[in-house]
Amino acid sequence: MSNAPAEEIPAEEIDLAEANHIIDKYLTLPGNLMPVLQGIQDSYGYVPKPTIDLVAERLNVYPSQIYGVLTFYAQFHLKPRGRYIIRVCVGTACHVQGAERIVETFFGRLGIGHAETTPDLRYTFEKVACLGACGMAPLAMVNDDTYGKMTVQKVDEIVETYNQRPMK
Amino acid sequence: MVNLTINGTQVAVEKDATIYDAAKACGIKIPILCHDKKLHPFGGCRMCLVEVEQMKGRLIPACTTPVTEGMIVQTTTDEIVKARKLVLELLLLKHPIDCPVCDAAGDCDLQNLTFEYKVNTNRFVDEKFNHEIDYDNPLIERDMNRCIHCGKCARICDEIVSYGAYTFINRGIEAKMGTEFDGPLNCEFCGSCVSVCPVGALNSRPFKFKARWWALQKTKSVCSYCGTGCQLTLGTKDGKVLTTVYDENQGFHNGQLCTRGRFGYQFVNSAKRLTTPLVKKNGKLQEASWEEALEVVTSRLSAGKSDPASVAALATPRLTNEELFLFEKLFRGTIGTDNIDHSAGYAHAALTKGAKASFGVAASPSEIADIQKSNLLLVVKSDAYETHPVIGFEMNLGVKRKGIDLRIVSDKKGKLTRLPGAKTTVHTPGSEVALFNALCKSIIDQGLAAEGVAGLAELKAAVADATAEKAGVTAEEIAALAKDYAAAEKALIILPIGLGYPGHDAALANAAANLAILTGKIGKEGCGLLIMGEKNNSQGAADLGIYPKSTGLSASAIIEGCGNGNIKTLFVAGENPVVSYPNRQKVEKALENVEFMVVADLFLTETAQLADVVLPACSFAEKSGTFTSLGRRVQMVRKAVPAVGLAKSDFEILNTLSAAIGGARYNNQAEIFTEIASTVPAYQGLTQGKLGDEGVVLPVTVSAKLVPAVAKAVAPVAGKLALLTGSALYHSGTMSRFGEGPMYVCPTAYAELSMADAASLKIAEGDMVTVTSATGSVQVAAKVGKRVPQGTVFAPYHFGEGSVNSITDGAAVTYVTVAKK
Ligand code: SF4
Ligand code: SF4
Ligand code: SF4
Ligand code: FES
Ligand code: FES
Repeated sequence: MSNAPAEEIPAEEIDLAEANHIIDKYLTLPGNLMPVLQGIQDSYGYVPKPTIDLVAERLNVYPSQIYGVLTFYAQFHLKPRGRYIIRVCVGTACHVQGAERIVETFFGRLGIGHAETTPDLRYTFEKVACLGACGMAPLAMVNDDTYGKMTVQKVDEIVETYNQRPMK
Repeated sequence: MVNLTINGTQVAVEKDATIYDAAKACGIKIPILCHDKKLHPFGGCRMCLVEVEQMKGRLIPACTTPVTEGMIVQTTTDEIVKARKLVLELLLLKHPIDCPVCDAAGDCDLQNLTFEYKVNTNRFVDEKFNHEIDYDNPLIERDMNRCIHCGKCARICDEIVSYGAYTFINRGIEAKMGTEFDGPLNCEFCGSCVSVCPVGALNSRPFKFKARWWALQKTKSVCSYCGTGCQLTLGTKDGKVLTTVYDENQGFHNGQLCTRGRFGYQFVNSAKRLTTPLVKKNGKLQEASWEEALEVVTSRLSAGKSDPASVAALATPRLTNEELFLFEKLFRGTIGTDNIDHSAGYAHAALTKGAKASFGVAASPSEIADIQKSNLLLVVKSDAYETHPVIGFEMNLGVKRKGIDLRIVSDKKGKLTRLPGAKTTVHTPGSEVALFNALCKSIIDQGLAAEGVAGLAELKAAVADATAEKAGVTAEEIAALAKDYAAAEKALIILPIGLGYPGHDAALANAAANLAILTGKIGKEGCGLLIMGEKNNSQGAADLGIYPKSTGLSASAIIEGCGNGNIKTLFVAGENPVVSYPNRQKVEKALENVEFMVVADLFLTETAQLADVVLPACSFAEKSGTFTSLGRRVQMVRKAVPAVGLAKSDFEILNTLSAAIGGARYNNQAEIFTEIASTVPAYQGLTQGKLGDEGVVLPVTVSAKLVPAVAKAVAPVAGKLALLTGSALYHSGTMSRFGEGPMYVCPTAYAELSMADAASLKIAEGDMVTVTSATGSVQVAAKVGKRVPQGTVFAPYHFGEGSVNSITDGAAVTYVTVAKK
């Protein structure tokens, strides 16, 4: 499960201006909840709790229902995500090619587990099911870049490379 | 009508019926788990599968499938039984079999169906759920391991309660019924979800491990808190009230209750109950026998017969009709005093003076059933939800399900104002009459008045200078509201009254009645005015004349009389003036001063502590009789447990006293009802037997008349906040303080501020603040919220500590300063 229980949600100050702007845009549209939440996800990178309360208040929807929607669809995240999302496939083909070792190596290098984010918000790590490129198994992706035929060495190289990349 | 055949039986049903409804109509039971007659169909559990000849090849859910002409239905073929068994096996796969320790055992649909379908083995195995149980609040336990995902809790909390605490969260095998952020439950605690949960996933914690469900004795009665008059079933064992039992067929509300009705029953067996009479000796209340206590009271009352003007009596509208009748007969009849009253005198004036003048009868011309029949509800004060929550459910249902228009005129916002399509006119505090006058003027000016209304010219003159401005709203708002109201085919005005609302007086009832009369919206279904009395028998108290009729003193004058020595003997049956009447210091002084005061009550209240004799009285659960609800429905209250300690019912107390001083004596309370039926016109011809389980709505003959209402000018005081008093959702009067449920959710007095005022006064939620008026000051905790507009502060009146009546004096609005302690 990629969503965090309540106590893990960081209690940071959130600027609601952008969220208000998104709500304004869809305010009068029927069925506006999904586009508003998508807009918030896109703009903040996740759906911060204060924005849920704001959406509940302004669209007159129960906060519980919004939470239900957010936990139903994989596209929404309730805690900040890393700048770089590392996904390692653990589908059947990748599994037989030793994906678990790749996963374990990433865990060791990054100091986080599945569906977790490094405290500096650089990385989020996720195990995923078949990414549809079984020919290149085992497979890893960092944001939109694909890395096939993964090895333990390659894990080091990837981490090195993205450690140098800018955060913005 | 649609004709169909079910298991070979011909049946004709309404065309919007489902197969399930049709089967039920001809006495065929189809098992259900996720279906509830009060809720939108869900069709999630597949327990109700049936076969339809015309749809051969698959099984059809009976609860969601509408009937069609000529349908041929089978409800119990082998295939169906097999399918239902499979459904049960799958449900039992992850559901723990902990029936021996589950409170729902015996009342659990899953257990009962498993038994009925003889599912004693399971072809499948899987791990049980492993969810953490929510024990975070003391009222509702949530054990999602037992949840069968029927969705009823979420649907009732949304569709009827309109709180929306629950939703399905996550997906796939992780899906569960949850709350926002999967956190602990923090809601209104009405318990509606507990009552509809078909299994033991939601439990009432106060009842946990108290008794097996089947060992409970169940007694049908009526809630003794507010005027709604919800019917309830008390679950008792060994002479104690252990729970309220849900019965979906009870009352207009289908067994729904608010938090007070559902969880507020503990006051009955509270350890704080008075169990013996107390007599003041050497300046201290000391335990005494009934003989001793009654002797003192009898001699005072007999002496009072020769000087009736020095005797006064206050009764709570929580007593039964029979008790109130006897009370009236004893004091007005035998002793001969007209100094009789209840509810501080003002909290019933909208009925006894207002409705009487406007409609010729001291009762609401409308009944609760009119809510659902209306096209537009005009609610005075958003608080109507807090004062009468189950009426609030009716409004939710009407607005959300039937699309009834909701208009609210209020000095603050609240839950009601957030209902879909609700339009709220926020006016300046205390300007309700001015606002209704402006509406009436607007109706006349816009030519919307019904033809031939008598007294139109007088009213026109009386409201000539009414302006929207006097209520602090725009002329456009008034014009639009007047137009909407007039245009609605049927419109109903809803007006809550009570000790918290000194401004909701006779003039306001007249002003509101004028609007209805002016537009012809009276005497018709779904129309008129529903005056919502605060207490369970407020209407009964009005019917039985518990107020001064000629030259007698009203409650406030009685207090005055106690203070100046004119009243020498005061009999108080269940009222608690020290906390609930305006101006606490004055009341206390007066009651300390009165020569002799006797208080009959369940508890040693703030008032009883000042008495010379205290008599332990019985709660509603320990006696039989009748209450009359705000919709004029007379209902039977039935004794469910024996009296606590040596307590006696007010009937027994008054009966003994009456006989002792040469007045009437009755053999039982039912005899009095017979007398009520022959002397009080509205009750003519009734017997307790005729009331049955449903109760009887008293007839009402309305002769409507326009009665000009004078709007008192309210002058805001610069630099001060307008203090509005009222009811908290969880409380009713001062009695709910002895119920654990209400006290958990709302334990202390508070003052609710707007965010803007809180910010400028540097007050945060939970801070202790001092609220100061011209008459005094109190210290309470601050609440900060979106309900109250800037410039106002709201405080509930129920509490003894930090009681708001220390700083109010009966004016509709009190101007105060608020500062951090
Ligand atoms: S107790 Fe009432 S408000 Fe709370 S979750 Fe249950 S139904 Fe909703
Ligand atoms: S908690 Fe009860 S009512 Fe709610 S979904 Fe589960 S079984 Fe149904
Ligand atoms: S307090 Fe009023 S609304 Fe609540 S259950 Fe009792 S009668 Fe019904
Ligand atoms: S199994 Fe990994 S890409 Fe298909
Ligand atoms: S009762 Fe019909 S599907 Fe649940």
